[in-house]
Amino acid sequence: MPKLTIDDREIEVAGGTKVIEAAARLGIMIPRFCYHPALGSVGACRVCAVKVLEGPVKGVQMSCMLDAADGMQVSTTDREAVEFRRYVIEWLMMNHPHDCPVCDEGGHCLLQDMTVSGGHGIRRFPGKKRTYPDQDLGPLVQHEMNRCIHCYRCTRFYQQFCGYRDLGALSIGNRTYFGRVASGRLESPFSGNLSDICPTGVFTDKPSRYFGRRWDYQRTPTICINCSLGCHAVTSVRYRQVARQEARMSAAVNGWFLCDRGRYGFFYASLPGRPRQAAVKGETTTMDEAIAHARSRLETLPPDAIAVNGSARSSLEVLAMTERAARLKGWRGPAFFADAGAAHNVKTAIARLEEGLAVSLGEIGQADFILVVGADPINEAPMLALALRQAVQKGAGILVLDPRPVCLPFGFMHVPTAPEALGAVLGRLVKKSIGPAGLDGPAARFYASLPDEPATGQEVLARAAGLLAASRRPVIVCGTGIVASALVGLAADAALLLTAAQKKAGLFYILPEANSFASGLLAPPESTTDRILKAVVDGDVKALVFVENDPFATSPDRELLERALAKVELLVVLDYLDTPVSRRAHVFLPTQTLYESGGIFINQEGRAQYSAAAFAGGAPILETGGSDHPPRVYGTGLPGADPQPAGQIMAQLAGEPMASEIGARPEYFGGSTVSELAELPDVEAFPEEGQRLSPKNLPADRFKSVLPPSSAAESDELEIILTERTFGSEDLSSYSACLETREDEPLAGLHRRDAESLGIREGDGIAIRTGNTTLEFAVRVYDNMASGVMVVPRLQRLPWQGLGKRVRRQDIRKA
Amino acid sequence: MRVDLIDKVPSGAIGTLWEGTKAIAAGFATTLKHVFRPPITEEYPEFRRVLPARTRARIVLTRDPDGGERCVACYLCSGVCPVSCISMQSAERTDGRRFAAWFRINFARCIYCGLCEEACPTSAIQLSPMFETCERDILTLVYEKEDLLVDHGGKDPDYNFYRHAGVVTAIGGKGGHIDEDPPVNVRSNMP
Amino acid sequence: MEPVSLDVTVDMDLQIWIIGTIALVLKLGAVLLFLLLMAAYLVLVERKLLGRIQVRYGPNRAGKYGLLQPFADTIKMMTKEDIVPDAADRVIFLLAPAVVAITALLMFAVIPFGPDITVYGHRVPLVVTDINVGLLFVFALSSLGVYGAALGGWSSNSKYSLLGGIRGAAQMVSYELALGLSLIPVVMEAGSFSLVDIVNAQTQLPYILLEPVAFAIFFISALAEIKRIPFDLPEAENELGAGFHTEYSGMRFGLFFLGEYVHMQVLGGLIAVFFLGGWHGPLLPGPVWLAVKIVLVCLVMIWIRGTLPRLRYDQLMNFGWKVLIPAALLNVVVTGARLLW
Ligand code: SF4
Ligand code: SF4
Ligand code: SF4
Ligand code: SF4
Ligand code: FES
Repeated sequence: MPKLTIDDREIEVAGGTKVIEAAARLGIMIPRFCYHPALGSVGACRVCAVKVLEGPVKGVQMSCMLDAADGMQVSTTDREAVEFRRYVIEWLMMNHPHDCPVCDEGGHCLLQDMTVSGGHGIRRFPGKKRTYPDQDLGPLVQHEMNRCIHCYRCTRFYQQFCGYRDLGALSIGNRTYFGRVASGRLESPFSGNLSDICPTGVFTDKPSRYFGRRWDYQRTPTICINCSLGCHAVTSVRYRQVARQEARMSAAVNGWFLCDRGRYGFFYASLPGRPRQAAVKGETTTMDEAIAHARSRLETLPPDAIAVNGSARSSLEVLAMTERAARLKGWRGPAFFADAGAAHNVKTAIARLEEGLAVSLGEIGQADFILVVGADPINEAPMLALALRQAVQKGAGILVLDPRPVCLPFGFMHVPTAPEALGAVLGRLVKKSIGPAGLDGPAARFYASLPDEPATGQEVLARAAGLLAASRRPVIVCGTGIVASALVGLAADAALLLTAAQKKAGLFYILPEANSFASGLLAPPESTTDRILKAVVDGDVKALVFVENDPFATSPDRELLERALAKVELLVVLDYLDTPVSRRAHVFLPTQTLYESGGIFINQEGRAQYSAAAFAGGAPILETGGSDHPPRVYGTGLPGADPQPAGQIMAQLAGEPMASEIGARPEYFGGSTVSELAELPDVEAFPEEGQRLSPKNLPADRFKSVLPPSSAAESDELEIILTERTFGSEDLSSYSACLETREDEPLAGLHRRDAESLGIREGDGIAIRTGNTTLEFAVRVYDNMASGVMVVPRLQRLPWQGLGKRVRRQDIRKA
Repeated sequence: MRVDLIDKVPSGAIGTLWEGTKAIAAGFATTLKHVFRPPITEEYPEFRRVLPARTRARIVLTRDPDGGERCVACYLCSGVCPVSCISMQSAERTDGRRFAAWFRINFARCIYCGLCEEACPTSAIQLSPMFETCERDILTLVYEKEDLLVDHGGKDPDYNFYRHAGVVTAIGGKGGHIDEDPPVNVRSNMP
Repeated sequence: MEPVSLDVTVDMDLQIWIIGTIALVLKLGAVLLFLLLMAAYLVLVERKLLGRIQVRYGPNRAGKYGLLQPFADTIKMMTKEDIVPDAADRVIFLLAPAVVAITALLMFAVIPFGPDITVYGHRVPLVVTDINVGLLFVFALSSLGVYGAALGGWSSNSKYSLLGGIRGAAQMVSYELALGLSLIPVVMEAGSFSLVDIVNAQTQLPYILLEPVAFAIFFISALAEIKRIPFDLPEAENELGAGFHTEYSGMRFGLFFLGEYVHMQVLGGLIAVFFLGGWHGPLLPGPVWLAVKIVLVCLVMIWIRGTLPRLRYDQLMNFGWKVLIPAALLNVVVTGARLLW
């Protein structure tokens, strides 16, 4: 632990710490452009110069390149160092355009800050400025290359950190250019981070272009709810409009970055068409009247004939209030899951995330072998792919067991495996990598129950087993979307077995939606949306309440849904989105988004995180002013501020005393059946890194999972695998217009063998007969996916709801 | 610390009294004299003095020598305004020029400090000597861009920001601005 | 107090009573009209004069030379909203301005403005009431006036008002002593507490010549008593907003204002009575002489206001207690010695 002195103050840091970091710990911010904690040092910009007075090297040194050493004496204020930095800035500014007023970086520009604080104000250089042509980099990032100071942060981030190749440094010397070979959309789903990472205005945020300056934004720490990881973000609001989101540093979750789905997934909150007024039978009315109407209608029905559906995009407060209302009134539900399979997978995952086994996203980067089972990281939880890449960079091996054509920005082993075979392959692999020695009790019995030798002697699996055997900190990443119920428990038992074999094993689940963890905690075991819809069709249920749930987007059985909606007598919808079901509601009650109400979301790891309210609600000024002048009326009250938090509306519908304030623990969670929730801290005191919830007792079914029997026989059916895409399948981000061009083409995927047997080639259209309708798809043929399955992305442009779980081969024709 | 304003410090009680009396008497004499001097007041509505060009009163938005709106809606004036009376929305014209979609100054709030003018990087916002803006209805003191725009360059008639900036607009492409080299050829390998 | 206290020692004849009453009403009316009009125009004169001292015009828009300014001001103040702060002690807050105005007006009751005249064979003294302890009456009322400022400041429930009120009370109590003491030599000279007697004692020589020290002390204390520059600490606008009347608006503020200017005249009158020979003077009738003397004193006060800066609080207190009071006491001793030997 070297101890050094910086500006006459002593500090002790871990070995290998750079001087610039040591100074930061003392609160001394040494100027920097190229250095970034996530990207490391390259010493390219020379602006971090300090003077070393005493130490292994003396004189002016780059603090980002210099390891802290014992007895070192560093001065950041020495005249020589200050002069040096001033000259560096002046050189950097020689070619810098006179752009600040029209540059979107202005106001949070590192170069501006350094120029002003370094005292360089007047241009002395009489020569001309270098200029560059710009490129169109797609809808998310704006390019203005003149402003570059050649710190290489962008290409280090894009290529090294994320593993994408289409943007980088071109040309040489004074002409060095940062861009693509040709104009075109950036391919990386992490490209939005360029606007954060570039210290100048070369890459700026395109969707919020020219909307405002940093100082005008109301900036609030929030949580991204576009997937189950719960990355930390900063949300910028201006004129009642959510305008921009940036990454917020979190060591345990997302590190320094955000994926583009999360960064740009907020547009639903300020959409011009967002419903802001309550409506009864299509007629707008006041909130109070609509609630009173709904309540009086509900009271005429027996409680058993009323069913409530929620969804995992609601905050914990909303879910808890919904559950409480249903429980107290004896209504059916609430159903937070589309079907029993999804509910079971999530509940199993929650139960198995025991203390000591669960790892955070941040810890994944430290693993030395990662087994990804039934998961497609880049599509289901994009930031996970980035975490996996960091592990790979440090030498970890990665094996993906998944039927889908998984594509990741790093080298990995992929064994395309049919869903029902995943368990067997996982079991064999784990068994092969550890010996029975040292195991006893249930662990030994479980070990013995695993299948022995690979049926098909796959060489990749053997190699992976070798790596797993050699690893000390392996992690099992398990999806819950497409896998069979048994696999979720099996993954946990496999991790336990690895732990029993003296490894520091970790377990990491991916859950389907942002608040699936909380939904799983609160959902009554037997209620799911499909059961409720069946009960409506059977005539048992007469009234449906949908709380921030759009069954048209989530329910896989469109036909059942249509029949149920046609039959139901009362349809109450609470939502902040304009969805097909909210348009058909008999009583529509507008709710607040997370940005208005704030709320707690529990991520897939069980980390309860609080997302603060970013603004007080109301329609954006651009909307109320008709995008021209804002209205010239001065008064109190906000236009379009009718929406209330869904939890409060549920309380009123149930006739319960209203929760006066969000964050009042007892009111929301006091009556909850889940005791952990009542112990969550108050929102004001919520820890920044959240609070992890784990099962109180060790799960009863440790080492109890049984391998599902796998039918090796070639069937005459194709299994349908409905799968997420990074862009386009997730509910909220599909409202973001700027992400539309990022969506994949709506293609169904087939393995080459299946395609050939059906006589289909890449790009062909196919027609599938299901029941009495025929659905049409375009097809893409893959080699790196399992055969016997058809992969269908849940894109809105694909009619995936009609497909069911399997199709017979003879029902597929070339169209 | 004692600061003596009188250079000759009187000594003793009598001296002090004498000096004090003299000083007070001089004061009374001065004020008495003033009573008989003609006042120097300029009586306003009858007499209107021509104010210097740099007088700080009613704000205008000027145009560049090419007739374009100068304001690039950079938000600096609204950021610096101590009473937050400027608001605007920035937008982009089809040629890439940044401009104010709307621009509003609430003169009922403005304190005519001139900080906005000082902050403006394009010389767009300028205070003018026009000060007779009183109105009975306070809302008429909220001026929109149309009310603020004038068709001259004010105190700085020659400056056109877009001739100096590096961004591409109808005024100039890459390398087409003052003191710029033509764009580098990224594809060349020549040293 | 007796409503009718004519100093007539004749039989209780009805005629006398009627004439006495009519004379009283006339005197009251004349005095009141004179005082109020004078107060209004004193404001104008003060503003004009201050303007000229500062080489500007002063009010000159309402009427010719601004002559209608007092009426414009009155109308303005009458029509302004009468604001009572929420936290104020309502009753006291509403009453305080009246205390100031009334005490100032009442004080004039004992100031004689001419020698007795004879109407239909009846002697009518030209004073509202000549009580034989007129001097004490003046002091009593003057002390009551303190309440106006103190209560107004306290009841406003505002820190500036309270500070102003406290300053006012302290200042007035302190200077009252010097004020009273400075007059003892005058009383000793005249041998009476009645103001009429005091005036009559000055037929030959006004006391300003006989008792210059007493005059100086009285004048200075009088300035402090009416809280005018250089003693305007209770309303020191650059420290306390407007001091004890910060929270007042409209006509209630107007009453404070009126009180101050009436007070000015009363003290002008007292100075005239005690030191300048009252109504005595050649050629002109008595009341006119008195008026002239009052106006003169007021002009000097305005001149002082236009010239001197405000004292510091400690200077004010030191001056009152350590200079004026000892000087006044010494003056009593000296006068006594002179009268004795
Ligand atoms: S990058 Fe920074 S310094 Fe350069 S123009 Fe933009 S705001 Fe100004
Ligand atoms: S584009 Fe930005 S991040 Fe990349 S080298 Fe230039 S200044 Fe650095
Ligand atoms: S003059 Fe001062 S107060 Fe008025 S708009 Fe400009 S900055 Fe704001
Ligand atoms: S500072 Fe100048 S250019 Fe910027 S918004 Fe204000 S007026 Fe427009
Ligand atoms: S930050 Fe050290 S050289 Fe750039």
